[in-house]
Amino acid sequence: MAEYRAEVVIWMLSGTLSLVMMLVWMAQAQAAPGGQIRGYDAAGFATYFLSTWLVSQLLVVWVAWELDFEIRQGTLSAKLLRPLDPMWTHYASHVAERLVRIAPMLVLVTAFALLSGARFTTEWWAYPAALGLAALGFTARFLYEYAIGLLAFWTESSTSFQELAWLVYAALGGMFAPLDFYPAWVQAVAVWTPFPYMLGLPAQLLAGKAGPEDALRGALVMLGWLVVFWFLRLAVWRAGLKKYGAVGA
Amino acid sequence: MTRYLRLLRIFTGATLSAQLEYRANFVGALLASLGEVGVALLGLGIVFGQPGITSVGGWSFREALLVTGFFMLTEGVISVFIQPNMSKIADAIRTGSMDFTLLKPIDAQFGVSARHLNVLRAPDLLIGLGLIAYAASGLSVTAGGVLGAALLYASAVVIVYCIWLALSTTAFWFVKTQNVAELFNGVFGAARFPVSAFPLPVRAFLTFVVPVAFITTVPAQAMTGELAWSVALASPVVAAALFVGTRLFWLRAVGSYTSASS
Repeated sequence: MAEYRAEVVIWMLSGTLSLVMMLVWMAQAQAAPGGQIRGYDAAGFATYFLSTWLVSQLLVVWVAWELDFEIRQGTLSAKLLRPLDPMWTHYASHVAERLVRIAPMLVLVTAFALLSGARFTTEWWAYPAALGLAALGFTARFLYEYAIGLLAFWTESSTSFQELAWLVYAALGGMFAPLDFYPAWVQAVAVWTPFPYMLGLPAQLLAGKAGPEDALRGALVMLGWLVVFWFLRLAVWRAGLKKYGAVGA
Repeated sequence: MTRYLRLLRIFTGATLSAQLEYRANFVGALLASLGEVGVALLGLGIVFGQPGITSVGGWSFREALLVTGFFMLTEGVISVFIQPNMSKIADAIRTGSMDFTLLKPIDAQFGVSARHLNVLRAPDLLIGLGLIAYAASGLSVTAGGVLGAALLYASAVVIVYCIWLALSTTAFWFVKTQNVAELFNGVFGAARFPVSAFPLPVRAFLTFVVPVAFITTVPAQAMTGELAWSVALASPVVAAALFVGTRLFWLRAVGSYTSASS
């Protein structure tokens, strides 16, 4: 992965949605009477959205595209001969990319923070807590995107499903605004999904707007969802392999 | 000229019949279009959903929706007309099939720009036009405003085409250009909001460095009749300058091309 250092920086910069939303909200807060919206001033928005950007960088998953390619081109067949589920190769390469990503990411976040006036929390425990939640969130996202990618066994539109899944993740995760800005009924739905805990919650932790008990509750919910996604992935994988054998034979 | 029009018709017919063979892909393209419009509308909807917010950067909801409409329309223009062609330039250079394009007795830039079409993303165009029509129905729009918007949007399309072509032409020197296009998409994402919704330095960047402002905000302003004459004139000038610039860049790139094997 270290070979792709230049690309990694470009990929990081191309995920601009949270940065665009940050700039819009900052301008809105400056124009609002009292200089703030729902308790967020311009610097508060900068902190929240930069945190979201940071966390979303750790949650990037592209496995659905790779599976789509492998299934369509048939390169999956060779991998099936190995005595290890191909999932682990993908998982390892995603984790490795994270390690390459971290250094340029910190440089960019520092630069953006200086430009926008963002202030991250000074509570030390928030950082390991956010990192832990991001790790859980990444694994959950990896598993459900893997299941979506496996839809390529049946349909040619699996990557489009992945784009729709991204939309739900971005919306309910809080990439457009902090979750408490959403209509009440959307919030009521969102708390039952994993998305607020994988993106919004770690961002709120970094911004100093969530406490240790929130982190703990989020971690428990995420663990529950991990179990669900684990078996979902396994079920789709087993069903898909039967189908794949039928085509290849 | 008539020869180019005839070629355009042949190209269109050929890609149409090639694409309509894969009907299942239509579902996927439709999902992708819905995703795009979902992102655009959610971003706007949540901002305007806050109590006390009635405008973003001085634009009312309807007016901002007009910008979103132009954004979706441009997404459509990119996915239907521009991206399918431009993404193949790098491949053609890498595999050497660019030789065939250059040998043909037509202008090579026309050849690489007009050959392909992704009709499956046509819903984007319809969604964009629909949003524009819906937003305009709640505003007082004059016939002159619509005409002005159409003319300025033509400049906008030229600007988008030129930026994509310039980025793709770098493939003559660098093997991979997919990532650069990705970067443009990132910046272009800012065009879903009126440019005045951004802080001042960013506004300047979106106007003068990457002229995103001319693509969606300016046509929308023309439609609502709030466009200053200086900006209205600047848009075609920028488009023309970019066109000449990318044309020269393209000719230079082709001049330095030595085929894949040498």
